[in-house]
Amino acid sequence: MSMIAHPAPRRLASFALASVPGNERVALDQVAASVAALNLAPDRLNRLKTAVAEATMNAIEHGNGRRPDLAVGIEVLQSGAEVVVTITDHGGRNDEGWSEDQAEIPDLARKLEGQQDPRGWGLFLIRHMVDAMDVTTDGEYRTVRLTIQIGPAPQGPVSGTCVPGAP
Amino acid sequence: MEKPAARMDIRQADGRTAVIDIRGDVTAASESVLMSAYDEAAQQGARRLVLNFSGLEYMNSGGIGMLVTLLVRANRQHHQLAAFGLSHHYREIFELTRLDEAIAIYDNERAALAGPAGQGRAS
Repeated sequence: MSMIAHPAPRRLASFALASVPGNERVALDQVAASVAALNLAPDRLNRLKTAVAEATMNAIEHGNGRRPDLAVGIEVLQSGAEVVVTITDHGGRNDEGWSEDQAEIPDLARKLEGQQDPRGWGLFLIRHMVDAMDVTTDGEYRTVRLTIQIGPAPQGPVSGTCVPGAP
Repeated sequence: MEKPAARMDIRQADGRTAVIDIRGDVTAASESVLMSAYDEAAQQGARRLVLNFSGLEYMNSGGIGMLVTLLVRANRQHHQLAAFGLSHHYREIFELTRLDEAIAIYDNERAALAGPAGQGRAS
């Protein structure tokens, strides 16, 4: 039986941030700096930055309840042709902010008609910015793992619903 | 509460159209700044508001939610919203969220001010 050797993931960065709103900007800047040498296409890098910022904001607000004494841990790895960013908070014992069952798919038409909250785009954005996202828990901790290919960007965004009254 | 990191200035293009120049970050924290700019432009008689995103540095999901809130208000008052100056990335996000179907997107200010009858509608 032949075996394919996979290189061990290479750690590009590892850091922690206090759970203070606005620190998602620090996260995206540090992640962008850590992958600079990989020369991701600009669109792909922007997508990664948006996903990291949204996931970090979720960790700050939902996972750690905006408690500055609780850290959000962020690790950036290169694994073969992929960049993997893990974002860990203290929300392992609740699923607020990440529950697939509770998360309503945002629909602009329904929002404009007052049938959905105008907010609630974060999880939707993350899912469409990266090639894969998964969420795991380990006791107190919850880790969101974002994966993006270093290679060419995927085709355009997915289709949604039509908006009545659009110009 | 997070401090707004956005500045929004109003320019009257003509009696019925105003341009709001957005600089900095569009997040939930900038809601009061944007709504104040909208109210001021509307009070000055603008029926069409053109959002200039050329100075946009960062927009997150909170900012998108804020734009939806602005759209709800504009629709109620029968005001039109248009935009120009979006980077490729944020234009992609407008397409993903379908905001581009509710806010007409143009390549530049000249096209945006020409309005729906102009040639400037982005493909």
